[in-house]
Amino acid sequence: MELGIAVKRIDSYSLVDVQGEIDVYTAPKLREKLIELVAEGSHDIVVNLEGVDFLDSTGLGVLVGALKRVKANDGSLSLVCTQDKILKIFKITGLTKVFPIHGSIDEATSSPE
Amino acid sequence: MGPVTLELPPRSPYVGVARLAIASLARRQGLHEEVVDDLLIAVSEAVTNALLATEEEGSDEAVTVRWDGGPDEVAVHILDRGRVYDPEAALDPSDTQSLRFTLSLALLQSLVDRCDFGPRDGGGMRTTLILNL
Repeated sequence: MELGIAVKRIDSYSLVDVQGEIDVYTAPKLREKLIELVAEGSHDIVVNLEGVDFLDSTGLGVLVGALKRVKANDGSLSLVCTQDKILKIFKITGLTKVFPIHGSIDEATSSPE
Repeated sequence: MGPVTLELPPRSPYVGVARLAIASLARRQGLHEEVVDDLLIAVSEAVTNALLATEEEGSDEAVTVRWDGGPDEVAVHILDRGRVYDPEAALDPSDTQSLRFTLSLALLQSLVDRCDFGPRDGGGMRTTLILNL
């Protein structure tokens, strides 16, 4: 089971495109990438979850940790997700109130955070 | 379909193995795909909790995942030899794992019809996930 992560810049945003399953095995790779981005000065991050097949509490914990880091730098972290099975996880845990969740990359990178 | 038991090494790559096996058994049982998705998240949560408790205990004993699919309900039992804990007390905010565990508990309690925790005979924890059919 592999987790694919690709990063590109869109205007002032760093777009983190994630592919695969995020669980206790793969989440450290995402955590490291997000920590690296913040350390490099990327404080406005969009995480695209459209290619994510599976997400559990470990992955949610990584996203919450990254959100805290960018907020400590007056930045933002938003998500792109339209898959019902992934959105359900955010709804159950109440994290829809914590993360801005967008329906497309265009929407995420044009929204004032 | 009778009970099926998996013995998994207490290491993180095997959480995905548990999901694969349970997905196959759940589909064979004829569960709706949306129910399978929910069950896989619950299994992943319970196996992750078991692995982390086993790691904390410094144990290398296997995590057992037991599928028992009957005509009226499906039960998935996750058994470990890790640290014994009270799930409510484990929500202590001073615990560094607390955020993940809080989220995990919310998912476990929402995605299956019943989730029971308790000590396992001989040490460790037992988590039982029940789906009513």
